[in-house]
Amino acid sequence: MRTETANKHPVLFLKTTRRAWYGCSAVLCLALLPALLAAQEERGAREVFADLILAQAGEQAIWVETLSGYGDPIISEVYAAWRAGGIYAFESDGNTRVLMQVNGDGWVAVRTGEAVQLSEAAIAKLSKIRPSRKLRKSMKGLIDTLGLKAPDPATRIDSAIKMGRSQKSEFIEPLRKRLEAEPEEQVQAALREALAISLLANGDDAEVLLAVTDLEEMQSIPAKDFIEKVLAAETAGKGATTELAVACQSALKSIESHMKTLEFYGSFFRGFSTGSVLLIVSFGLAITFGLMGVINMAHGEFVAIGGYVTFMVQRAFIDVWGIGSTAFEWYFIVALPLSFVVAALLGLLLEKSVIRFLYRRPLESLLCTWGISMVMQQAFRLIFGAANVQVNNPGWLMGNLNYAGFNMSFTRLFVLLLALVVVFLTWLLLRKTNLGLHIRAVMQNRDMASGLGIPVARVNSMTFALGCGLAALGGAALSQIGNVGPLMGQAYIVDSFMVVVIGSVGNLLGAGLSAMGIGLVDQLLQPSLGPVMGKITVFLIIILFLQWRPGGIFPTRSRSLED
Amino acid sequence: MTILSKSLKKLTAFAAALLFMGTTSTRAEDTVKVGILHSLSGTMAISETSLRDVLLFTFDEINANGGVLGKMIEPVEADGASDWPTFAEKAEQLLAVDKTAAVFGCWTSVSRKFVLPVFEKYKGLLFYPVQYEGEEESPNIFYTAEAVGQQAIPAVDYLLEEGYTKFYLIGTDYVYPQTTNIVLFEYLLSKGIPVENIGGGIRYEGDVAVSAGNYTPFGHTDFQQIVAEIKDFAASGDACVVNTINGDANVPFFKEIASSGLSSEDCPIVSFSLSEDEFRSLPTKDLVGHLGCWTYFMSIDSDANDAFKANFQEWLATKAPAAVQKEGRVTCSPMVLSYDGVYLWKAAVEKAGTFDPEAVIKALESGISFDGPGGTVTTQKNHHLTKSVYIGETLEDGQFDILEVIPDVYGEPWLKGTFK
Repeated sequence: MRTETANKHPVLFLKTTRRAWYGCSAVLCLALLPALLAAQEERGAREVFADLILAQAGEQAIWVETLSGYGDPIISEVYAAWRAGGIYAFESDGNTRVLMQVNGDGWVAVRTGEAVQLSEAAIAKLSKIRPSRKLRKSMKGLIDTLGLKAPDPATRIDSAIKMGRSQKSEFIEPLRKRLEAEPEEQVQAALREALAISLLANGDDAEVLLAVTDLEEMQSIPAKDFIEKVLAAETAGKGATTELAVACQSALKSIESHMKTLEFYGSFFRGFSTGSVLLIVSFGLAITFGLMGVINMAHGEFVAIGGYVTFMVQRAFIDVWGIGSTAFEWYFIVALPLSFVVAALLGLLLEKSVIRFLYRRPLESLLCTWGISMVMQQAFRLIFGAANVQVNNPGWLMGNLNYAGFNMSFTRLFVLLLALVVVFLTWLLLRKTNLGLHIRAVMQNRDMASGLGIPVARVNSMTFALGCGLAALGGAALSQIGNVGPLMGQAYIVDSFMVVVIGSVGNLLGAGLSAMGIGLVDQLLQPSLGPVMGKITVFLIIILFLQWRPGGIFPTRSRSLED
Repeated sequence: MTILSKSLKKLTAFAAALLFMGTTSTRAEDTVKVGILHSLSGTMAISETSLRDVLLFTFDEINANGGVLGKMIEPVEADGASDWPTFAEKAEQLLAVDKTAAVFGCWTSVSRKFVLPVFEKYKGLLFYPVQYEGEEESPNIFYTAEAVGQQAIPAVDYLLEEGYTKFYLIGTDYVYPQTTNIVLFEYLLSKGIPVENIGGGIRYEGDVAVSAGNYTPFGHTDFQQIVAEIKDFAASGDACVVNTINGDANVPFFKEIASSGLSSEDCPIVSFSLSEDEFRSLPTKDLVGHLGCWTYFMSIDSDANDAFKANFQEWLATKAPAAVQKEGRVTCSPMVLSYDGVYLWKAAVEKAGTFDPEAVIKALESGISFDGPGGTVTTQKNHHLTKSVYIGETLEDGQFDILEVIPDVYGEPWLKGTFK
C-alpha cells in the first residue's frame, strides 16, 4: 500500500530537486525489501515535515502537497504533537533543528527520529513553533486521508465520513480503492456512505439517484443536509415530481424518523447518566440524612473535598512524573479511593467533635452543619483560592463510545459504572456484614441497640464517616465532568436532598430509583422544553409527587421513626 | 443620665464632627475622589476583583505622574456584593455622600441597569468596561465596553469568511446573551444564512422572532442533550457554535464537547465571555483551537502593551495592597478597558479644565483619543468608543493567538432591527 501512495503523484516529485531525489529514492526502493522501504518512507516523511515546520507561511502549501505523497503514520504523530504545542526549534551552531517533546521531558529530532539529550540551558533556549490556522485547515485534509489507512477502525470511519462530507471529487478514487481493500464491515458501510454523499455533488443524474436511495437505506444523518440541497436544486430546476425529487423526499423522511428514534433512545442513556450523577452525589446523603437522620447541610462540601483531593493528586502526579507521562494516566484511579479516605477521616473527626451531641436534635444539627458548610467553603477559598481549579481528564477517559448511532462519552459511562459499583458495595456492606447489621440496628433504635450490647457510639461514627466518604467519591467523579471550586457542593445540595426525600428517607433502593427517575424525566423533557423550562417542570412534578405521596416512593412504616 | 451630660456628649460629638470636616476639607484641596463600584464578594467577585485591582494600579500610576489637574486621585471603594439593589445603594452613596467626580464600575448588565437611574438622577459619570448587549445610551454613562458590533458581529463575519454556513447559538438565560443572539440572528439572516441553518431553536411571537438560540440557567451542569444536538447539527459539516454561556457553566460545556469528539477543526466554538482571566480557572486543554473575540488580547505585540503588562506586574510586586492577589495574574480586555476609561477621563478633565461631570461628559463627547494597550481608542458622541477588534484562537497555555485584527470599529449600540 505504501508503494501505491509513494508513486501516485509522480509529477509532484519533480517539482524541486529535493523532491526529485525523494522520487528517485522511492523508485529505488521499489526493488528493495518492504521493511527497508518503510524505513525509507518514514525518513522521507520526516525530512519533509521538518522542512514544512520551518518553512515561511507562504511556502508551506507546497510542503503540505509534498507530504501528501507519503502515507506514513509518523505524519499524524508529529502533527498531533505540533498541534498540542510540542514542537520546538533549537538553534545551535547556526543550524536550526526541529525537536519534538515526548512524554513530557524527552526530546526527539523530527528530521532523524533520534532521541536528543538537552541541557537545562538548552531547554531554556528552545522556541515553540505553532501551526497557523490556515495550515491546520490544509493539513486536516491530509490527516483525514492518512486516517483512512489507520489501524484503528474508528479512525478510518471518522476520516471516511469527513472525506465524503467535503464532497471533493479527488477523494472519490481513494475512497473506492479503500472500499475494495477494507476488511471490516462497519468501515465498509462508512466508506459507502461517504462515497454516496460525495456522489451527490459529483455524480451524473443516475449516480445521484442511486446515491439518494443508498443513503435512504443507510439512514445517513450526515447526508440529510446534502440531500436537502439536491432536493432544492431539483425542485427549482425541474419541479417536485421528478423521480429524483420523490426519492429525496422519501429519503429525508426516513432519515428524520431515524433521527427521532435515535434522539429518543439517546435521551434514555442521557437520563440514566444524569441519574447516575445525581445518585453518586446524593448517596452519601442517603446514609447521613436518610439512615442516620442528621440533616447534613455540609454534605455538598464533602462532595467538594472529593473534587479537591482529585485536584491535589493530579498536581502531585504532574510534579513527580510530568503531565504527558504514562503514570499521569493513573492519577484518577489513585484519587478515587484517596478522596474516600480523606473525607471519611474528616467525617469521623466531625462526628466525634460535633455531630454526636446532636443526634436527638435535628433542628440544631441542621443549623450546626450549615455553619460547618460555610466554614469549609471559606477554608477552600483560603487554601485553593476563590477561583475554580483545573482538573484534566486522563487520556483513557477522553473520547466516546459510538454504538448503533448514538454516543456515550467515556466519562459519563464511567460515572454510571461507578454509581452501580458504589450502590452494590454499599448494599453488600449493609446486608451481608456484621457492621451492616449493627448499622441497621442502631439506625432503627439507638437505645435498644445499645441495650443489646452494640457499640452505638462507634457504629455512629463509622456510619457518618462512610456517608462522608461516599460524598467525596461522588465529588471525585464529578471533577471529570464539571467544575471543582469552593461553591461546587452548593450546586448539588438541593438535588441531593430532593433525591433522598423522593426516594423515601432511610431507603437506599428508593434513593437509587428516584435519582434515575429524576434524571430520566429531566432528559426526556429537555428536547421539547429546553433546559430552563425543563428544570422548572421537573421541580413542579416533584412537588406534585410529594403532595400525592408525602413519604416518597417507599414510605417507612417502622414505629420507631414515627415521631 | 442628666441633661448636662447629654448636652456635653452632643457638644463633643459636634466638635469631633467639625474637626473631621476640617481635616477632610483641607485634604480635598489636593485630592479628587473617584469611585470604584465592583463586586468584591459574592459570585461575581472572581471576575470583578481583577477590575478593582487594575483600577487601583491605574490611579497609582497617574498619581505617580502628577495626578489630574494637579490633584491626586483618592479612590473610594464600594462593594456591590454581587447583589443588584446593593449596587444601586452604593452608587447613591458614592454620588450623594462621597461626591465622587467619576465612578468606574459594574460588570453584569443587570447591575448597570440598576445603577443607571441613580447616575441620571445625580448627574454623575459612570465608566462601564465589560462587553455588553447594546440597546442603551445613557447621558451619564460612558461605555468603554465592546458593543455587539465590536465583538459578536466581527466574530461572525470572520466565521462567514472562513466558509462556515451553519451557526448554533447557545447562551446563559439573561439579558446579554438573549439580546446579542437576537441581533446575531437578524444579522445572519441579512447575510443570506437560511433560518434552518441557525441552530438552538427560535421562538416566535406572531411573525417576529423574539428569542434565538438555546439557553441554560446560570451554573448549569448537564450539557449532554445540548451537545448531542450540536453534534447532529454539525454532522454535515461547515457548522460552528456561538457561545454566550457565562461563568463556570463553561467548564461542563467544554468538557462535554471535548469528550463528544467534536474538534475545533470540525466545529469551532467562538466564546464572548471567556478572556485570559477566566482561563485561569478553566481546563484550557479542552479549549485549544476554539475562538475568542475581544478588543484586547494579552498577546498583542506592541510597546504600549508590553509597558502596560510590565508596569502592572511591577505594581503587583511592589505597591499593591495586601488584599490583591499577586501570583499568576494576567491581563484581559475588561481590565484594559477599565484602564483606558481612567485615562480617557483624565484627558477629558484636563480638556474641560474642571472635574464637573457635565463639563467632562461634554469634553468626552467631543472625541478624545488615548493610545492604550489594545491600540488607540477614541470616544464618540454616542458615549461609545471606536477601537480595534481582535480575533484570536485559544492556546493550551490560556493565551490567544491573534488571527485577525479589524482596526477602528465604530461603537454602535443600536443594532436590533437594523439588518434587513
